[in-house]
Amino acid sequence: MADIELSHVDKVYEGAEAPAVRDLSLKIADGEFMVLVGPSGCGKTTALRMVAGLEDITEGELRIGGRVVNDVPPQGRNISFVFQNYALFPHMTVYDNMAFGLKLAKVDKATRDKRVRETARMLGLDEYLNRKPRALSGGQRQRVAMGRAIVREPQAYLMDEPLSNLDAKLRVSMRAELARLQRDLNVTTIYVTHDQTEAMTMGDRIAIIRRGQLQQAGAPTELFYKPKNLFVAEFIGSPSINLVESSLRADGDSLYADVAGQPLLIDPEALSERPALRGYAGKRLIIGIRPQDFEVGVAGTRRRGCQVEAKVELVEALGTETNVHFCVNAPPVITDEVLELAADLGKDEATRVERKARAGRNEFIARVDPKTQVRNGDTITLAVDTAQMHFFDPETGQAIR
Amino acid sequence: MTSVAAPAGGAQGKQARSRSSTIIYVSTGTVLSILFLLPLVWAVLRSFMQPSDITAAPSARAFGHLTVANYSGLITGSIHILRYVGNSVLVAGGTAVLTAVLATLAGYGLGRTRFRFRGSNVVFALILVTLMVPFQAILTPLFLELSFLHLLDNWLGLILFYSTFNLPFGVFVMRNSFMAAPSELEEAAYCEGAKVLTTLRTVLLPLVMPGVATTMLYAFLFAWTEFLGALTFITSINRLTLPVALLNVETGTFGQVNYGFLIAGAVIAMVPCAVLYVALQRFYVTGITAGGVKG
Ligand SMILES: Nc1ncnc2c1ncn2[C@@H]1O[C@H](COP(=O)(O)OP(=O)(O)O)[C@@H](O)[C@H]1O
Ligand SMILES: [Mg+2]
Repeated sequence: MADIELSHVDKVYEGAEAPAVRDLSLKIADGEFMVLVGPSGCGKTTALRMVAGLEDITEGELRIGGRVVNDVPPQGRNISFVFQNYALFPHMTVYDNMAFGLKLAKVDKATRDKRVRETARMLGLDEYLNRKPRALSGGQRQRVAMGRAIVREPQAYLMDEPLSNLDAKLRVSMRAELARLQRDLNVTTIYVTHDQTEAMTMGDRIAIIRRGQLQQAGAPTELFYKPKNLFVAEFIGSPSINLVESSLRADGDSLYADVAGQPLLIDPEALSERPALRGYAGKRLIIGIRPQDFEVGVAGTRRRGCQVEAKVELVEALGTETNVHFCVNAPPVITDEVLELAADLGKDEATRVERKARAGRNEFIARVDPKTQVRNGDTITLAVDTAQMHFFDPETGQAIR
Repeated sequence: MTSVAAPAGGAQGKQARSRSSTIIYVSTGTVLSILFLLPLVWAVLRSFMQPSDITAAPSARAFGHLTVANYSGLITGSIHILRYVGNSVLVAGGTAVLTAVLATLAGYGLGRTRFRFRGSNVVFALILVTLMVPFQAILTPLFLELSFLHLLDNWLGLILFYSTFNLPFGVFVMRNSFMAAPSELEEAAYCEGAKVLTTLRTVLLPLVMPGVATTMLYAFLFAWTEFLGALTFITSINRLTLPVALLNVETGTFGQVNYGFLIAGAVIAMVPCAVLYVALQRFYVTGITAGGVKG
């Protein structure tokens, strides 16, 4: 086991104009589960392959267990790589696939056999040891790939979207199983995914990457509650954060944010945590409100200026939660970040955002208590937890602190 | 193949169409097989006839006097056909192995992006260009070269000569085979601790076996049937390969033209090719990489 440290790592592919990874500095502690997440093409795989030694590092330094390994080939790094497509050796049985690395490491036959069988039992593969990969289901192949990684007891596991080829249900159960396994084995892990739910549920820490650059690294809650920029705020959380353009108005010591014509009093505590906010008085900025920071009905104790009127457009009752869609009388926030993330979600989402932009309609989603009775067409009053609001500079997209 | 009639639609129409296409498929296949097999069958039958019957017009009477005399004569007589079969097996086998080994290594180097170097495509193009050069055109320089290397009248010289002219095709086949093998498998082996040649041997070779089989078969058949080079470079009677030896049967170096011997010799020459083809056939079975990558 070992820690992994990337310092100022760059990767420029031959013939490429822009670097695939730019100035990446990241420290993964011994035994830590680090998730690299970001839209496809942002450089996650490239970063992981550099750690594995499958890709040269153009600039910067990589240490595994304190040793600089820039020039060490993958064979010398003692890491396991789990590929997106599993990369099982098709002509070998499950047993031979798993024993492959041990054989090369000259582990004696008895130990080898014991370890392969133990690992297979742990993953529920004992019945399939004599099968070839083509006779296995997708989930079983995935397990074999995991088994091949685990059995060697390497310094670190590197996994590139290992669950992306499974169907949705299996993915959820494998997610939990894999996270538990990693905790039990306590081996340093770098896990690449473009699914933010996977990242949030599995990682000790998450590193969000955009266009080859690290945006923010931290615990899931940190990224959720204290996103450093618009991209992180937009990427993390489901349904995603509501964004609206706004201006600040000072009234004595208090600041009011104008949300579609309705003034929202900015929580004094939030204000004292973000001294830079006062500088935006009279200026434009982008406000973010998470769907879960809305509440239906106003408790009498709430202060004035923490509520918005909303005309309900659509109610999605999901059982454990209810999502209320409502229109906001303000233009939608269409930044590069929003467009990029919509494009990553697929063509449908991209066209939806485009349509919204053309119509000039901004739609919010409030996630409310499923017991509240809300129907389409109702006009309701929603309380906003203004202490949890996020503020971003419209030019730079950086959070205002 | 053009469809017979517009299908009536529905399962029935489909069934009818598939049945008629099966009939067309089977009958075309049968006709073609007969066309190709007839000369072979004819040769095999004639090789069991007495020399006087062979040259005569075909008649039912000839089939009443079938004999193995041609074969026994070839094998036990002064001709010693088996010696030449042995020579040819050695030369063709050596050519097949040498070509396969070199083509595999070259194909590995040229086919994997990880070994790309500046000008590797030019190298590959140059190798392919040699395919366009008929060796007959450079027989004299080759003769001088082999003479300089003291490899005239020598099986090694012949093997090197055959391998040289089979390598372009072999490298072409092997490069494509390696390009088709998923790079993740190789990378997975590296991460598991396998060095480059270990990876080639244990992980990639089983995947490119169809290519290796193709290369070997092609080289073997080339060397097995090649005549002009063997005639030019081999001078001792004892070292001749089968095609040249058979020519000697025909032109009567060993005596008068004996068509019985000649046809029996041709049949004997076919046997190793058929054996090799059947032996390598299992490598052509598709789906060798199935299940390795992708869910
Ligand atoms: N072998 C390569 N050669 C050139 N460019 C590459 C190569 N691999 C990836 N890239 C480019 O580098 C960028 C990052 O790719 P990648 O690391 O695969 O992204 P991700 O895994 O986050 O989807 C992309 O723009 C991609 O086109
Ligand atoms: Mg990727």
